[in-house]
Amino acid sequence: MSTNSIALRLSGMFALVALLVFMLIGWALYLQVDKGLGLLPEAEVDARYSVLESAVQRYGTPEHWAKINTKLKLLSEEDKRLRFWVVSDNPTYEFGDPDAEIRAFAKGPLGMRDLNLSGHDYPFKVLVSQFPAKDQRPPLRFLTAVDTETFWQTQHSLLVALISLAAVGILLASALGYWVARIGLKPLTELSLEARKLTPPRLSGRLKLSHLPPELDQFVTSFNSTLDRVEQAYSRLESFNADVSHELRSPLTNLIGQTQVALTRGRSAEHYFEVLQSNLEELERLRSIINDMLFLASADQGSKATQLTQASLAQEVAKTLDYLDFIMEDAQVQVEVRGDANAPIETAHLRRALINLLHNAVQHTSPGQLIQVDIRDEGDHVSIGVTNPGAPIAGEHLPKLFERFYRVDASRSNSGANHGLGLAIVKAIALMHGGTVFVRSEDGVNTFGINLPS
Amino acid sequence: MRVLIIEDEEKTADYLHRGLTEQGYTTDVAREGIEGLHMALESEYAVIILDVMLPGLDGYGVLRALRARKQTPVIMLTARENVDDRIRGLREGADDYLGKPFSFLELVARLQALTRRSGGHEPVQISVADLWIDLISRKAMRGGVRLDLTAKEFSLLSVLARRQGEILSKTSIAEMVWDVNFDSDANVVEVAIKRLRAKLDGPFEQKLLHTIRGMGYVLESRRVD
Repeated sequence: MSTNSIALRLSGMFALVALLVFMLIGWALYLQVDKGLGLLPEAEVDARYSVLESAVQRYGTPEHWAKINTKLKLLSEEDKRLRFWVVSDNPTYEFGDPDAEIRAFAKGPLGMRDLNLSGHDYPFKVLVSQFPAKDQRPPLRFLTAVDTETFWQTQHSLLVALISLAAVGILLASALGYWVARIGLKPLTELSLEARKLTPPRLSGRLKLSHLPPELDQFVTSFNSTLDRVEQAYSRLESFNADVSHELRSPLTNLIGQTQVALTRGRSAEHYFEVLQSNLEELERLRSIINDMLFLASADQGSKATQLTQASLAQEVAKTLDYLDFIMEDAQVQVEVRGDANAPIETAHLRRALINLLHNAVQHTSPGQLIQVDIRDEGDHVSIGVTNPGAPIAGEHLPKLFERFYRVDASRSNSGANHGLGLAIVKAIALMHGGTVFVRSEDGVNTFGINLPS
Repeated sequence: MRVLIIEDEEKTADYLHRGLTEQGYTTDVAREGIEGLHMALESEYAVIILDVMLPGLDGYGVLRALRARKQTPVIMLTARENVDDRIRGLREGADDYLGKPFSFLELVARLQALTRRSGGHEPVQISVADLWIDLISRKAMRGGVRLDLTAKEFSLLSVLARRQGEILSKTSIAEMVWDVNFDSDANVVEVAIKRLRAKLDGPFEQKLLHTIRGMGYVLESRRVD
């Protein structure tokens, strides 16, 4: 499969979003804690020092100093992180066995400083303070130190905790995301199951809108309207196939039957001649139906009129009337042409459409009556309407008149040259030109026509 | 006149052979492409009738190989009537193109069009039995009496007279008289023939305009038995 499922994709996106959110929060949290933790050792040192400061300042005798020593020792034992060093010229007034390293450090500037002692991974935060001489006591350097290792470790474990929490969070988000997406996509799954049931010949079903989330409304509506069109096309095709078989069946029956009858016994040459001629007539009928259907099929397949020339429609109508002249005289009908317009047309095709339209009108006009041809320029298109006085056509038939083999009177079997494709061919020719057909029946006149893009 | 038919469909090849022979052509038949191409290259033919769907080498292949060496006129036959095929056939050098189902009369007409000597002069006057036609002044007389014909009736008569003795289908008459080259539901030709016949043959003993049922019409003087 070239594309991942929507659920998988969504869960991946959830994971990405979670990663981003966790990273932001974790980073902010870490910065905040880091800032707080960084200040903690100094605060601790300050607090310890402020407790001791006044006592150290006040006491100047060895007896008093012993008390301070005890206090410092107690404090150091109580909190292993704490260290005190007192450095002076007199060993009595010293504390914490300061070695050369400490002494050197103690000589440095006063204030808060970092001291790296060998054997310790992390530095000590040290407050170096100075006390002037008092009584017997020489001036002192007093070092209050706290080991920062625990603070650093806290910071480290916080980082680890944040990262692992984030990892768990991301996993959880993508897993839950997948689950949520599956639930969210359930209507789609149901929809596709429903759609799968809609196959020919069960095309009449439609997808239901009621239980669907509004996001799918549009999809279902357009899917359903596609189905409408497919169903129409399908049923047209079905009835077309039935009509075709019917139309081909009667000439074939004649052909087979009369040939068999002729062959059952010896016949005169004239009889065979007769049969062959009749066969030829039936065969011509078949050929004509097949040619018309091939023409319609090529129009169905989207064949377009290509050899377009700009032509006067009135002239085309005049040429058509010239062709139909004898027929009109026989039928004793007159034709009046009104208006003119120019349009790009494929003349042979348009001629065929006009012949069919006019012949159709002549057939349905009583002797002595007038057929009108109206050519109008409607701006973006031109229209040719052929109007003849005739019996009104019921509204139900109107939209179907341009369909293949459609006959208003279903029982009218027509064995002549007229095989019910004339108006269908008119429609096909209109489509090939990018145009449409129209039909109206009102006030005792019927109008069949064609609109062509100008 | 020699005609080569390259067609694998047996019935088609047989009736073409018989029909064209009866029309006065000398016909050879090839049942497949390579054999047909060989015959076309080895002998001289006036026209080649070439089917598109052939075993071995198809019609287009035959045509291409033939055109590399010879310009014998070719009429292509095909069951697939779509515009692309038509354009392809003509581009490859076919001189004419007929889609199946075609009528035999149509094929004969196309054959004659291809073999008719160019520059042949059209007659200006034609006579059939006691019928006399002047194509320039557009007059027709029969038995010394002027026939009162409309312009269309005269066109129809002259089309039939120019091809006297030749059966003309309704389609080719419609094409020659009205420039309508497709079947239509309207039986214009029948009506026109009926009118012409009334004026041409109505008052006379000897009939000149004959209907060949299912095929068309012919203008000729037949011996009265």
